[in-house]
Amino acid sequence: MSSSTEEIEQLISQEYKQGFVTELETETFPPGLDEEVIAKLSKIKNEPDFMLEYRLKAFRHWQTMKNPDWAQLNVEPIDYQAISYYSAPKRKEDGPQSLDEVDPELLETYKKLGIPLDEQERLAGVAVDAVFDSVSVATTFKGKLKDVGVIFCPISEALQEHPELVKQYLGTVVPETDNFFAALNAAVFTDGSFVYIPKGVRCPMELSTYFRINAANTGQFERTLIIADEGSHVSYLEGCTAPMRDENQLHAAVVELIVMDNAEIKYSTVQNWYPGDENGVGGIYNFVTKRAECRGHNSKVSWTQVETGSAITWKYPSCVLLGDNSVGEFYSVALTNNYQQADTGTKMIHIGKNTSSTIISKGISAGKAQNTYRGLVKVGKGAENARNFTQCDSLLVGDKCGAHTFPYVEVKQPSAQIEHEATTSKISEDQLFFCQQRGISAEDAVSMIVNGFCKEVFKELPMEFAVEAQALLGISLEGSSVG
Amino acid sequence: MLSIKNLHVSVGEKPILKGVNLEINSSEVHAIMGPNGAGKSTLAHVLSGKAGYTVTQGSVTFKGQDLLDLSPEIRAREGVFLAFQYPVEIPGVSNIYLLKAALNSIRKHKGLEEVDAMDFLTLVKDKIKLLQMDEKFLYRAVNEGFSGGEKKRNEILQAAILEPALCVLDETDSGLDIDALKIVADGVNSLRAPDRSFLMITHYQRLLDYIKPDFVHVLADGQIVKSGGPELALELEAKGYQWIEEKAA
Amino acid sequence: MASHYSAEYKQIIDSLPGQSLGWLKALRADAFNSFSGKGFPSLREEDWRYTNVAAIEKKLFSPQLGIGTNNIDKEWLANYSLQDAYTAVLVNGRISLEHSTLEGLPDNVCVLGMADALEKQPELVKKYLAQAVSNNEHSFVAFNLAWFSDGLFVHIPSRQIVDKPIQLIHLVTQADLLTTTRNILVVDEMAEASIIETYVGVNDAYLSATVSEVFVGRNAELTLYKVQNEGEKAYHFGGTYIKQERDSRFNHHNFAFGSLLTRNDIHTDLDIASECNLNGLFLGAKRQHIDNHTRIIHSQPHAISRELYKGILNQRARGVFQGRVIVTEDAQKTDSEMNNNNLLLSNDAEVDTKPQLEIYADDVKCGHGVTVGQLDEKSIFYMQSRCVDEETARNILTFAFANEMVDKVMIESLREKLLEQLLERFPQAGVEKSWL
Repeated sequence: MSSSTEEIEQLISQEYKQGFVTELETETFPPGLDEEVIAKLSKIKNEPDFMLEYRLKAFRHWQTMKNPDWAQLNVEPIDYQAISYYSAPKRKEDGPQSLDEVDPELLETYKKLGIPLDEQERLAGVAVDAVFDSVSVATTFKGKLKDVGVIFCPISEALQEHPELVKQYLGTVVPETDNFFAALNAAVFTDGSFVYIPKGVRCPMELSTYFRINAANTGQFERTLIIADEGSHVSYLEGCTAPMRDENQLHAAVVELIVMDNAEIKYSTVQNWYPGDENGVGGIYNFVTKRAECRGHNSKVSWTQVETGSAITWKYPSCVLLGDNSVGEFYSVALTNNYQQADTGTKMIHIGKNTSSTIISKGISAGKAQNTYRGLVKVGKGAENARNFTQCDSLLVGDKCGAHTFPYVEVKQPSAQIEHEATTSKISEDQLFFCQQRGISAEDAVSMIVNGFCKEVFKELPMEFAVEAQALLGISLEGSSVG
Repeated sequence: MLSIKNLHVSVGEKPILKGVNLEINSSEVHAIMGPNGAGKSTLAHVLSGKAGYTVTQGSVTFKGQDLLDLSPEIRAREGVFLAFQYPVEIPGVSNIYLLKAALNSIRKHKGLEEVDAMDFLTLVKDKIKLLQMDEKFLYRAVNEGFSGGEKKRNEILQAAILEPALCVLDETDSGLDIDALKIVADGVNSLRAPDRSFLMITHYQRLLDYIKPDFVHVLADGQIVKSGGPELALELEAKGYQWIEEKAA
Repeated sequence: MASHYSAEYKQIIDSLPGQSLGWLKALRADAFNSFSGKGFPSLREEDWRYTNVAAIEKKLFSPQLGIGTNNIDKEWLANYSLQDAYTAVLVNGRISLEHSTLEGLPDNVCVLGMADALEKQPELVKKYLAQAVSNNEHSFVAFNLAWFSDGLFVHIPSRQIVDKPIQLIHLVTQADLLTTTRNILVVDEMAEASIIETYVGVNDAYLSATVSEVFVGRNAELTLYKVQNEGEKAYHFGGTYIKQERDSRFNHHNFAFGSLLTRNDIHTDLDIASECNLNGLFLGAKRQHIDNHTRIIHSQPHAISRELYKGILNQRARGVFQGRVIVTEDAQKTDSEMNNNNLLLSNDAEVDTKPQLEIYADDVKCGHGVTVGQLDEKSIFYMQSRCVDEETARNILTFAFANEMVDKVMIESLREKLLEQLLERFPQAGVEKSWL
């Protein structure tokens, strides 16, 4: 017999395969947050003085702020004093290590996650920075990148080796006062990646950071800063996983992208934090501020995200299009199942002339999940000939989930052309029966429909990630020869 | 090929089919006619395994095996093809992709090699001419934005490619103007073969002017109340269904 | 924030109708407390983020106490009143039978001033007053309930099909006035009617605050037009709150042309298999600000909603569209479509649009679309290829963009009047009335 709604829901559910815990000796701060903790954190990282000042300024401002409550989310109150703000695997000495000094237990962890870090098995053509709880444990291909002038290292290392660059750019896109979680991040961030692509360089390989939360009762606060100087080009990928735990854990990251004249950054995310169990217990609270500034003429930023994990996702990767002819793109697939909640979207701020932006958002909601698209397209007075196209579609699987669409469009320029479309539909039993009647199993049919629904986004992902993303959604790649 | 014996089917508590008997041999074309609500579409759905129907009595065997035991996709792979009365739209899935996935799952089921993209394309382009369809249809999402007539033609195209043993055509003529009906009928006629039989379900006699049946059955209130040759259809056209219903009562 | 309108309330309370009715006194007291606690809405409220109402607190608009001697220019009134309709006129917030023409109205159809209705049929009014909207909606609703001086009460009984449209004209003849009116429109089971609400006033500052509660019974049909032609310095706050029963149809045509600052709230709640069509056209010029806020709740299955709002903003005008469609868990088989299209004609004009879908049921078909600034380039090119210069082509298409909404009006005399207004606002199009 053909499938009922429940069976359709089952077809879309998958076990969380990255939920194991790595047993390691760690150095972990006791829970709690005050100026002393921040000073200790800054000291342990041996940071230049300006950083401590920056952190304290952010912390003082954060204390005056309130948790935002405007999103379509039910968030249990977070006790910020119950979180530990630093946890790192113990090492023999301080400072960056070479790969063969890395704890084999850690290498094993990344291997298990499909990210081999050791010399022989490295992914060809992809340089990886592996961030484990509060610290970066390894970065591959550093030497090869250095040859062409590309800096790719943990941000803590960048603060030692290139403090002037960090000082020049940090917080210039997302100021420490920007919002509650950005302020908290500025105060306590521990690690993350730093990328600088010099003028005219096309980065010879994909750069990627793999974030892993391992320790219990800690928060992960990472900071990523990418600068693409004039005429340069880089493609950057990030992936995220965490063990299965019954408590919610906080992940509050800030990502800043800076794009100069004729430069391009392509930023892809496959977010697979632990989503909690089928009863809504546990899971990561993913509160992230990501913003790109297209400062130069003809600059371009492209955000692509596949969001399948986290108990709660609160995330709006944005583009500020300052330079004339600059381009912003946002491609997103957000899948929520069981009790997951996602409130995600983008902001496209058109300031320069002839700027254009594209938003393609696909939300899939199953189980008792709530999935919200929230977006802003803003065209300033001077943004002559601004163009935006937005398509946001929702797919419902089952009858207890919700899909919501909250776009904001604000236009102050008569030559602007803005187009926004949204649809909501469901995977129906009729569609599945039709496919079955053509000899295709219900499983394959769901996979085909979901893939068809998402393909405009998947085609934006680099190959390795497209495969991973499709595996995460439990769907197969559509035959490229005839598709 | 198909043998239906004393088939009783209910939807929820309500009996719809009340003892249907029907034998279809290879190469035969059968037409089932009847008033609205007689159970015509129920019969088509039960043969293809749609959920929501309970078989309370009787049996259906297809090529010697118990059809009712099989999942919808296995029935389809074994060669039961249903041309839907209301073909569904599947946004985002291209027609050609559905066709290729369907054909290869049938071939796999039969232990044959999957067809490669080039051979497949040649095959499809050949068949699409038959239905006088534009090649562009292949790359559009399944039935999305198709007119009623285009959807029905698309159903027959799928039959032409999947080459089933038994074609069940459920109200294939409804929603078609006369020109489209001729094209669909030509398509169906070209599919006639010694190892293939047809079960046409229709409310209107018009279809039978273009696809000549070997046998005509009248379904009323869940039972086949009268069977005969093509002349029965003409009699129905002249006298209306009331005639049969009165006789049955 | 405390409002200085609250301080004045004591002086006007005795002039308000229905003071002898205990239930109404209690309702008003509640509403007054609710308003006084909050004051008028602020930009911090999500539903008011684009509309600043601080200006109405900068001066004090006061109601006209008692029935004044209001001189009305009959010719002026004739510009707005329809010949082929039953007409009720409110002058400065109170009914004026002298200017109304209700002869010939079927006996069982009731069109009364709200104050009269409270006197003659208090139980009937009680059944409906404050039932379609609560004070919690926003503070203008509470303000309206506490302050209303009159309004119109229309009741169309079961199976009655009203032969001509009923026009309700709200007229303001003096500067600095506050007019607060509460209207109740009831169309009972299987009845059918067309009602036009027209708002007109002098070209001076005044504040017009009105709330209409609308009840459409089972299988009944109401087509409601709102033509807002307030004076160009006026503030207009209008709420239309609709309760639709099973199988009912509600069609709304909302034309916002006048006033300096306009806020319209149109909220409807759909029962099984009911249908609503919300149409709107807002034209802004100079420093006009027009905010349309609509909300459609699908709380039962099989209901259909269609919405199309169009805005054209010129000079320094600002237009706002906030449309919300909510599909509750039980509302399976909902079919909903919302569209908002806007044109900006100058460098200083602005439009903010926020269409929202909140869906809690799964077997639904919902969509929305928004455009800003697109005249069809193909049409422009086509016209150019037929010798029309680009500017003229754009003017003609802009006119046509607005006229699409006027064309939907089913009452011919009203359509004519609206068309004349469009021709006045878009003279560059060079369109002759006789061509249309």
